[in-house]
Amino acid sequence: MPVLKLEGVTKDYALGETTVRALRGLDLEVEKGEILAIMGPSGSGKSTLMHILGLLDTPTAGEASIEGTSVETLSERQLPGLRGQKIGFVFQTFNLVETLTAQGNVELPMIFQGVKRDERSRRAAELLTKVGLPDRLLHRPSQLSGGERQRVAIARALANNPEIILADEPTGNLDSETGKKILEILERLAREDGKTVILVTHNPDAAAIANRVVTLKDGRVVDEKRHA
Amino acid sequence: MRSGMLRDFLALAGRSILHRKRRSFLTVIGISIGITAVVGLISIGLSLEKTVTDQVGKLFGYNTFLLVGGDPFSRHGPSEEAFQLDLGQVRGVDGVVAVAAVRQENGFVTGLPDETGKVLRGVLPVMGLSPELATDFRSFIGGLSLEKGGRFFVPGDAQQVILGNRIAKDLHATIGTTVLIEGADKKDHPFEVIGILDAAASSESGGGFSAGAMMPETDDTLYVPFDMMDALFGKSKDVLLTFVKTAEGTDVQQVADRVETALEESGYKDASSVTSNDISKQIGSVMGAVRGFLAGIAGISLVVGAVGVMNTMYTSVLERTREIGVMKAVGATNGHVLLIFLAESGLLGFVGGAIGVVLGLGLSALAGILLPIFFKVPLATVVSPGLIVGTLFFSFLLGAVAGLRPARRAAKLPPVDALRYE
Repeated sequence: MPVLKLEGVTKDYALGETTVRALRGLDLEVEKGEILAIMGPSGSGKSTLMHILGLLDTPTAGEASIEGTSVETLSERQLPGLRGQKIGFVFQTFNLVETLTAQGNVELPMIFQGVKRDERSRRAAELLTKVGLPDRLLHRPSQLSGGERQRVAIARALANNPEIILADEPTGNLDSETGKKILEILERLAREDGKTVILVTHNPDAAAIANRVVTLKDGRVVDEKRHA
Repeated sequence: MRSGMLRDFLALAGRSILHRKRRSFLTVIGISIGITAVVGLISIGLSLEKTVTDQVGKLFGYNTFLLVGGDPFSRHGPSEEAFQLDLGQVRGVDGVVAVAAVRQENGFVTGLPDETGKVLRGVLPVMGLSPELATDFRSFIGGLSLEKGGRFFVPGDAQQVILGNRIAKDLHATIGTTVLIEGADKKDHPFEVIGILDAAASSESGGGFSAGAMMPETDDTLYVPFDMMDALFGKSKDVLLTFVKTAEGTDVQQVADRVETALEESGYKDASSVTSNDISKQIGSVMGAVRGFLAGIAGISLVVGAVGVMNTMYTSVLERTREIGVMKAVGATNGHVLLIFLAESGLLGFVGGAIGVVLGLGLSALAGILLPIFFKVPLATVVSPGLIVGTLFFSFLLGAVAGLRPARRAAKLPPVDALRYE
């Protein structure tokens, strides 16, 4: 069973008077443990697809399901909880909370799942060590380099031990050396921990670590390549 | 929701407040000014009330009440009419151990000749005082202290008189001399001067209740034993007020009720009793109204403070739109976001309230130091724990209410839009 499945997904946006169709009847299956790269030019619908895969948005038509459960059958109230448990986000601009330390940022998703304080700080320290920042626990985002911030973001994405890591241009704001290191971490998560990693990217390096590359254009899948 | 989650939200809110120190501080000032005014005014009001109540309590003791004409607390004030009273009947009521009364008339008085042989004659206030005032009701005649060599009335005194300080000089009377008071029978009756009021006591109305309000114009008044008023001016139909002392262990209010009933049964319908409790209650209700009014005015500044909190929170929501998007992406529900922002605005209110309580109590303590200096009234200090706890709770609530609309705006932000916000 695919972890994520889209069937004939259409997404419309109201943009002033006109309606923009970002996705046009898109079909996609994401298998457990694979690294899937989603590529395509600006305006091809990558971000919209990302939002729907990440349960941040719902399709206008068609069906999206996570582990066999249709998103439509979930209420507005259930969605955030499921999102917090099943999906970890990594953003291009890191999106760390400036007022919190690295550890505080990693603890944030656990707070919303009601994880107790001791357990939270233990796990946050463990995850920050895993991404190579054992000595940065109490640093604030502004005291960290771009690469370090993205590592914190990855640790945060792993906080509730989700099935799926959804990374939106994770190397977009990093130099290529640092970007490569981030991609290595993401690759390890799939290969060693069996996480499903979805990368939305322009970066050919990112595409290189993927098992499968899906290319979008005008809201449709126009190309799909499988790597060994 | 876990209770620990609320604590976590408060911690998040606290961190956010500390992160924006200057803005948070300015917002907090807005709240604390209002709370300072409210707490300060209420505390000063409570202190004044306690001071007055203490004074009344000291004056009355635990076992005394007054009888006066008419309803003392009616809208028109106490009856102007003096009332008729048979003291003997009041003495006979069960539980009464002593009764003293005060009665005032104007009498035609003849003094002693001066060096040139001139004699001062004139109509002067003559006040009848029961000898019991000196023995059983000392606190009420605090202002009537006598010059050396004089004495107050004792039971059995009849044609004795005590003179106000100035009138004694005008009449050229000294202790042991005799002045004449004309009675209703148009005859002059001789009275032996047994005491002259202290100049200090009679010029200063320092005796407050007794020398000021209840026994006016002490300087120009002649005092005779209460029973002599009957002989001079006829049966008592013009008693100003009557002091009644109750027996050890009796309930003052019960005895007062019995006296009232007894007086009513024998036809004295316009007499009513006033216990210290009645006065305290009356003072309490008046002070309560004044306090409420002042607090209401101070409350206006709280509205201004609350608007400040609302403004700060709207700005905060706008600035942190992306952060809200991130929180939602990592699993925060709308309810979580709402609570985080409510916690933040509530905390702003609470901190403002805490500062305001401290400053307000300081203000009240300052009043406790300054008022006695300027007005010569000692002020009791009242620190009401209820007021403090209530104010802290209220200021948290005020902040939360002010932050409600901004917080709801934050909670309702669609995560996709919030994440896209630049």
